[in-house]
Amino acid sequence: MVERRFPRNLGSLEPMAQFVADYLGSRGFDPEHSFTVDLLVEELFTNLLRYGKGGGPEVSLRLGGQQEELVLTLRDFDVESFDPTSAPEPTTRATVGGHGLRLVRSISDSIRYEYRDRSASITLTKRFPR
Amino acid sequence: MFEILVQEGGLVKLSGRLDAAQSDRAKAALDGVRESATLDLADLDYVSSAGLGVLVQTYKRLHDSGHGFKLTNVKPRVRSVFVYAGLDKVLHLE
Repeated sequence: MVERRFPRNLGSLEPMAQFVADYLGSRGFDPEHSFTVDLLVEELFTNLLRYGKGGGPEVSLRLGGQQEELVLTLRDFDVESFDPTSAPEPTTRATVGGHGLRLVRSISDSIRYEYRDRSASITLTKRFPR
Repeated sequence: MFEILVQEGGLVKLSGRLDAAQSDRAKAALDGVRESATLDLADLDYVSSAGLGVLVQTYKRLHDSGHGFKLTNVKPRVRSVFVYAGLDKVLHLE
């Protein structure tokens, strides 16, 4: 398991993508899977920036799991609770926004939101059969 | 790294990584397109929902004014994002 903190702004997207690529590489996953995980991280992170009221200067990204499974946890500190897993999806496809949550739900195998002591965590699992 | 190049005749080339940090730049460039557009995605390596939103916005604007909008040379992994979002049924992917 690895964990790193990133500044809570959009400038963290590329460093996060590199962090994901390095971790998946260290576990011997197909580099193509970095694309998928990178996408999940961005959708969760931008959702957090948009809707997580408050928030400290950094967020934490943790990657782990065993064998074929990847477990990804993004944690936001000193923030109001906002559960993205309970947000409704847009009713039509041709909308400008609302695609992020649909992507996350479509791609990940499980999603769990937790809120405790003003810290919000969202954990996804994704299996990559070898 | 993201680049967008708007050429004569409505041809637009996108390359690199179209993420939330780059979507405003993509929107600014695409807002200048006032005719039927073909977006060449041959060198686009990554797109997220922020990028999809910009493309849908451009599609709607052009479609509403009677112009065409299509996406060509879409890499399989980029195409998969459109499919996951259900936008392959809305946008014209060649």
